[in-house]
Amino acid sequence: MSSAVLPMEGAAASPRLESFSYDDEIVRKFLWATFIWGLVGMLVGLIVALQLANPIFNQTEWLSFGRLRPLHTNAVIFAFAGNAFFTGAYYSTQRLLKARMFSDALSKFHFWGWQAIIVSAALTLPLGFTQAKEYAELEWPIDIAIAVVWVAFGINFVGTMVKRRERHLYVALWFYVASIVTVAILHIFNNLSMPAGLFKSYSIYAGVQDAFMQWWYGHNAVAFFLTTPFLGLMYYFMPKAAEGPVFSYKLSILHFWSLVFLYIWAGPHHLHYTALPEWASTVGMLFSVMLWAPSWGGMINGLLTLRGAWHKVAEDPILKFFVLAVTAYGMSTFEGPLLSIKSVNALAHYTDWIIAHVHTGALGWNGFLTFGMVYWLLPRLFQTPIYSKRLMELHFWIATFGILLYIVAIYSAGVTQGLMWRAFDETGRLAYPDFVETVVRLLPMYWLRVAGGSLYIVGMLLFGWNILMTWRKRPAKYEVPVITAPALAKKYVPEPSHVGAPVPAGLWARFAAAGWHRTWERMPITFTVLTTIAVVVASLFEIIPTFLIRSNVPTIATVQPYTPLELAGRDLYIAEGCFNCHSQMVRPFRHETERFGEYSKPGESVYEHPFLWGSRRIGPDLARVGGKYPHLWHVRHFENPPSITARSIMPAYPHFLTKTLDFEQIQSRVDAMAMLGVPYGDAVNQAPAMARAQATEIAAEIERQGGPAGLGDKQIVAMVAYMQRLGMDLKRQPTTVGVAK
Amino acid sequence: MADGKDSRTDRLLEHEYDGITEYDNPMPRWWLLTFAGTVIFSVVYVFNVGPVGNGKGRIADYEAEMAAAAALVPPTPTAVDPSQLLAMAKDEEAVEEGEEVFTTYCASCHGPDGGGLIGPNLTDNMWIHGGAPESVYKTIAEGVLAKGMPPWEKSLKPEQMTSVTAYVLSLAGSSPTNPKAPEGEPYTP
Ligand code: HEC
Ligand code: HEM
Repeated sequence: MSSAVLPMEGAAASPRLESFSYDDEIVRKFLWATFIWGLVGMLVGLIVALQLANPIFNQTEWLSFGRLRPLHTNAVIFAFAGNAFFTGAYYSTQRLLKARMFSDALSKFHFWGWQAIIVSAALTLPLGFTQAKEYAELEWPIDIAIAVVWVAFGINFVGTMVKRRERHLYVALWFYVASIVTVAILHIFNNLSMPAGLFKSYSIYAGVQDAFMQWWYGHNAVAFFLTTPFLGLMYYFMPKAAEGPVFSYKLSILHFWSLVFLYIWAGPHHLHYTALPEWASTVGMLFSVMLWAPSWGGMINGLLTLRGAWHKVAEDPILKFFVLAVTAYGMSTFEGPLLSIKSVNALAHYTDWIIAHVHTGALGWNGFLTFGMVYWLLPRLFQTPIYSKRLMELHFWIATFGILLYIVAIYSAGVTQGLMWRAFDETGRLAYPDFVETVVRLLPMYWLRVAGGSLYIVGMLLFGWNILMTWRKRPAKYEVPVITAPALAKKYVPEPSHVGAPVPAGLWARFAAAGWHRTWERMPITFTVLTTIAVVVASLFEIIPTFLIRSNVPTIATVQPYTPLELAGRDLYIAEGCFNCHSQMVRPFRHETERFGEYSKPGESVYEHPFLWGSRRIGPDLARVGGKYPHLWHVRHFENPPSITARSIMPAYPHFLTKTLDFEQIQSRVDAMAMLGVPYGDAVNQAPAMARAQATEIAAEIERQGGPAGLGDKQIVAMVAYMQRLGMDLKRQPTTVGVAK
Repeated sequence: MADGKDSRTDRLLEHEYDGITEYDNPMPRWWLLTFAGTVIFSVVYVFNVGPVGNGKGRIADYEAEMAAAAALVPPTPTAVDPSQLLAMAKDEEAVEEGEEVFTTYCASCHGPDGGGLIGPNLTDNMWIHGGAPESVYKTIAEGVLAKGMPPWEKSLKPEQMTSVTAYVLSLAGSSPTNPKAPEGEPYTP
């Protein structure tokens, strides 16, 4: 590599040489997991893409869109990107710190624990166990497991920093530290919930506050799970592959701290024009706008590291992957602030535009960085030259073309639908009052996405083939090189700042030459604490007012808790994942109130544990659907949607008509809600009886309307009860609006 | 400064990590200016200066939008001419147009041939809300929300309203495949 000068040599007063080796076995394990889960996650993505293009692909209740979409997002984020991060982090951290991981046992626990969590996700999500919060769907026992495994990873990481043989922390490690700390905080505080059974719980927050916490988490899951870890990987693997120095250390410092501090505020940009207070929405927007430059700082440092190495890019597919990854990162982080601007978000929110944005980041940035990194690692980990450079090159071009096809199709789908929703004709009526018309228009684009996604998966298969064939050429026994390096001396001996500069004499000269930041880089624990403070302080600035300002949520006297039967219906709505396609949040725009009814008020959601506002509108908003249709309409619609709306793409739910509702279980649900402070009154003692009474009434009405008899104990009555309740509180008299007690 | 070859460009920092070195390059000026620009924009936005800011707020904006629309939209002609509707019911072209509207919006509840499903049979001579052309029009326009019949006046165009009414009138006496039992009072023109 370019610089041969080892700073420790001669620097330490008494260089006690130590011998050790790196744990590459764990890196190999994570590498395999990355590929396998990546392929699985993407195949599930292909299935959900097909389901949107044609509802016939929704087969059985366990594999319908509402249950598979969260499986796709969880698999690609936590299983694919997660394992990719661990692969790169375990490889680079040991080398950057000149130390083996703190504990091999913890490394193994981390690996097997994480894979077990993924398997449990793959089992529970199709079964309908979900908390209904995006990227935090997994139920409470799995959440506890995640916290434990993550903390083990954290201890292992911090332990390695403590026993390091390299005085200073390189920028990649700053990003790892920030990611590990912040993900732990986000995960714990967003998932606080009240269990109502082994695989059922309700968020302890309700309505506006739950929405706020969820997107504080949700946005920062993107930030600290998909962005900062990968920036860390970029800072290690990109200069390694380019064999040149990083462009600017100063830029690293400024963009690191500004990212860490600013990112955490940005969550409310997912909730523009909802019932979230407007001040929070504004804060979310402005901090997102301010994130543009800090994000681009990472892109600049990545791309400019290639100055003078551009000729290598033409020949080296690994560098090609990195260049495209960093470019995609630049695109998404320009688009992100743009989408955060309220007026732009008004058009894009709820549409496929958001999905296109996400996939630029996910397929381009996370995917390509992972591919480049793994290809770079293969010969080093399997200790044999890579099987085929031509396959790498082919993978690059096929996947690039796949991304383009995917995002161009889905951008145009998003913009088309957004414009159709808001179009009025010359008589002042909605130009497309029939919602399904705005869906059918997108189907050709959905098919193009299937094609683009398939290409990306073909790329994955080439990737897998190359990994497998390289692995097969591995030596009979891996060599484990013994590294020798001096232990860290107790006392820090000043070093020159620049190559060829004199050693600074005196405190001030040292400070001026190397800077304050250099001092922090010598203190891993302090550095970790400072990062934590940056994240926590920024969070509290938003969280405290959201929870304390009562006037944020003016109460509405007619808003009452759901009846036990309605609650049971709501639980089914959650289990089926209906919220993945239907919003329950009408924004204050004329085209929305004309289409759906009165805009949603914060006070309507006070008993919503968890909130179900949704973030996509693949189907129409449901906030005001109560009383809009007769019971029988819902029965027929759930049984077979096209019998009501010929071109509907909604999956059918015939099992609602055949499966028996567990009335006894409703008691535990009501009790959990009551513990969270929902005023349930009598229902606390007699929920099943109340539910049965209401069910009998609904079943009789269905029969009276000409529907089938004998539905009184089936799930369908709970679903009908819930549907007919939505939005009815506002219509009840009298409506008195005031500030909470 | 950013791209110039002054003495500060590409000075290698002394440290090295696993072979990775770093330059002490200054941050690109355009980047710093962009950052500063977004911060200034944010401050201005908070103080709501001119077009930059929340303006009057989202609810006030919504109310203004609704007021502007109310002023724009010409009130729908409420008085329909019964004889014109009857004439249309005999006009093949109008009935065909009406059928298209019916298939899209009404068939889900009244059956593809109007024989009744969730909603009542529209082909018999029994009517819950009256079978006179103007009564049928009124039921379709205003709906019977409490009974599950949506109002259509706001989502259908005036010509769609009249043509679908004409279509419903034209169904009188037809024989649907699976007719629902009659409901309401008989009507004879
Ligand atoms: C969601 C289901 C639904 C849809 C969609 C629907 N209807 Fe109805 N309709 C009903 C129901 C239920 C009634 C009976 C109301 C009552 O009992 O008072 C009804 C009643 C009527 C009546 C009055 C019948 C009578 O006996 O007086 C007419 C006419 C009618 N609908 C026409 C239409 C037309 C035209 C459309 C399409 C533009 C339409 N309906 C769409 C459910 C529906
Ligand atoms: C400066 C950085 C970024 C900002 C400010 C930003 C902003 C946004 C905004 C405004 C939305 C839309 C919210 C809505 O209307 O529903 C969004 C959605 C999303 N973004 Fe970004 N983005 C950034 C970078 C990224 C990157 C790099 C990735 C991927 C690695 C990413 C992944 C996502 C995801 C997963 C969603 C979907 C959320 C949902 O399900 O609604 N973002 N982002």
